[in-house]
Amino acid sequence: MTEADTTAGYIRLPGSTLPPPPDGPKPLVFDGDAGEFFRIAAKGAALQLVTFGFYRFWLVTDIRRHLWSRTSLDGDRFEYTGYGRELLIGFLFALAILSPIYLAYFLLGLEAERYKAFASIPLFLFFYLFQQFAVYRARRYRLTRTIWRGVRFWMAGSGWSYALRSFGWMLLTVLTFGLMYPWRAAALERYKMRHTHYGDLQARFAGTGGQLLARIWMFGLVILAPIALVIASAVVQYRFGARLTTHPTAGFLLACAGIIGLTIPFLWPLLRAVEWRWWVEGVRFGEASAKCALRKRTILVLYVKFILSAMLVVALAGALIAAIVAGLTYGYGLKSADLIKMRGDWISYIASAGVVLFYLVVGLAVGAIQRYFLQRGLWAEVARATTIEGVQKLEAVGARGDAANALGEGLADGLDVAGF
Amino acid sequence: MDEAPIQAKYFDGASSRRRDVLVSLRPDGLLAQEGAETLAFWPYDAIRRADSGGVGMRLRSARAAELARLDIPDEDDARRVAALCPRLDDHAGGRVSSGRIVLWSLAATASILLIAVFGLPLLADRLAPMIPRSWEAHIGNVVDGQFKAIFGNKTCASEDGDAALAKLVGALAKAHGLDLSSSPAVIDSRVPNAVALPGGRIYVFRGMIEAAETPDELAGVIGHEMGHVAGRDGMRRLIQSGGTSYLIGLLFGDVTGSGAAIWITRTLLDSAYSRDAETHADDFAAAALAKLGRSPEPLGELLVRVTGEKKASPMSILASHPVSGERLERLRARKIVATGPQLLDFGEWRALKAICSKANAKPVDKPADKPRN
Repeated sequence: MTEADTTAGYIRLPGSTLPPPPDGPKPLVFDGDAGEFFRIAAKGAALQLVTFGFYRFWLVTDIRRHLWSRTSLDGDRFEYTGYGRELLIGFLFALAILSPIYLAYFLLGLEAERYKAFASIPLFLFFYLFQQFAVYRARRYRLTRTIWRGVRFWMAGSGWSYALRSFGWMLLTVLTFGLMYPWRAAALERYKMRHTHYGDLQARFAGTGGQLLARIWMFGLVILAPIALVIASAVVQYRFGARLTTHPTAGFLLACAGIIGLTIPFLWPLLRAVEWRWWVEGVRFGEASAKCALRKRTILVLYVKFILSAMLVVALAGALIAAIVAGLTYGYGLKSADLIKMRGDWISYIASAGVVLFYLVVGLAVGAIQRYFLQRGLWAEVARATTIEGVQKLEAVGARGDAANALGEGLADGLDVAGF
Repeated sequence: MDEAPIQAKYFDGASSRRRDVLVSLRPDGLLAQEGAETLAFWPYDAIRRADSGGVGMRLRSARAAELARLDIPDEDDARRVAALCPRLDDHAGGRVSSGRIVLWSLAATASILLIAVFGLPLLADRLAPMIPRSWEAHIGNVVDGQFKAIFGNKTCASEDGDAALAKLVGALAKAHGLDLSSSPAVIDSRVPNAVALPGGRIYVFRGMIEAAETPDELAGVIGHEMGHVAGRDGMRRLIQSGGTSYLIGLLFGDVTGSGAAIWITRTLLDSAYSRDAETHADDFAAAALAKLGRSPEPLGELLVRVTGEKKASPMSILASHPVSGERLERLRARKIVATGPQLLDFGEWRALKAICSKANAKPVDKPADKPRN
């Protein structure tokens, strides 16, 4: 593939607006309608209720189709070609694999309890590896269902190799009290990205642990500070304090720890924003690279909106229940005992079913809100903040790679680690 | 069909090269041409719709390369093409209608619930007797450890009290030829309760001994727990609740069986099994007492005294035991009157009642006794 080939294939339609310079950076465009996404999420939640959750495979597919097809680069839209049915089959296969493992896990757990030395750590390890395997294979499924300009993205590499790397790095991270976390993230991304391809174009990951550390070290300080303050406070109390009264300095240090500790939940969205930006800017497809201008507060606002809306829904639901109970008690002068006498055992079935239904409805509503803000919102903001440099290098990529099966997605679903 | 040609973007599925093409609608298919070069001819009945992001129309062909795509940006053009393609939205079962998903889900749910309600108890009934006693003992030891951790390992013992308890238990066990692996122990807790663990260990709580007014009442409770041991209810329960967690987890997509919805459903199903087991254990106790020439009625009276005259309430469906009043009526219906001698004499009964009192308490086990109530 030479420079001349790629420009020769680049013909503009007559009458189209002035073409941008062919080698300038191109924005990643997301033009999805918010209302349309919300309808998908709400309808999905309702159908999940009537299908006892089975609809989740089709809901996830609908959401991906929506997000992918509303995202375009250089005027061409992405496309998600997966089917809900594939996810269902993947889930059934995962069940067939996981069921005997769970049984073995149960029996092993009994034996492990008997020999205290074993404890259940090796079992935990096993499940950790399985989860990481699932994460890798699920990514592979999603990638091979992603199409741009008639060419498939795909991924090679081994899920087990990834799982072992992930475990080794986790061990290092734990042993260094989290200091190695950025290098773990970089190493795992390098493995995933160097096995990722767009057609015959191999991807790689250029981000480094050092870069990530430079951006997140202050988060680490905010998390470690309260711990240090608590220890300092205990030392002061032990050294200078009386037995029953708190030493003023110790109390002050403890209060500081508490105040700083309260900010920790707000760090999560900020950390995600930083990580997304680091990730996007580290991705390379051949000579194409990305710039990302995602702001921390954008993601923080998304999380705050999500939490407030979820709280509103729960509060409304609580008010509704209170109104129903109050209506029955005062409006009709009924006591709960009367209700029971009226129908005997009948009412208890209805009441129990009502409680279950109510719980499910609230849970599904919160789930729909979460998808709206934390999936669509996040997707839209990351896309909006991203520009791609060297798009012209993606113009004559040969098609390669086949669609992978959905076993990984099924395992991820069964093991509770499913992502987008 | 000699209207103006349609402007479109064509991707051949072999490379990512974008071709700006002119599409002309022929009688039997559409023709995509870049300049003079023909890039594709797609028969109308092979053309399918692909996701276009709500703008214009994106097409693929069932007879071309899998990922070959034709993007038609203009809505009017798109409508003209759509009108010609008879199988545009025919996805060969790939995309399923919501109605079918709902229907199949309901069928799957019904089948899972039927297995949970009818299949699992049957399975547990068949499997529990096949599990070797040694396994059951392993499990019993594990449960015993957890149980002791919860109740702080505080057991009561006194020489006379132990002797009286052993006499009562021995009589009941002999009545049914039941071989208990370990003798019952008394837990120092004010909760009026008694439990049988897998493997046959029985714990009677101090609260239950205090609530009992006659040896017959206590004998009824111990007989009931022996019924659980004889029926291997601990193992059955384990199999059943393991099975239900698994099946319900299947529904909600969490094979490990956590989550509140799963918990609620499980509790409902588990307690239904458990109420059956309780009724059988009551029958077992009644039969044992009858052999000893004693009436089972005091058991029912004790239960009513302990739980109060509870009628069916919204929570009773969640309760693991049948309502005490119903149990008393069932026991009364047997119309067995006491004909044999008392199971314990007055002195023995007094010693058993006092098994947890301060004078008898083991100092190591009970550093600070709470005031009695």
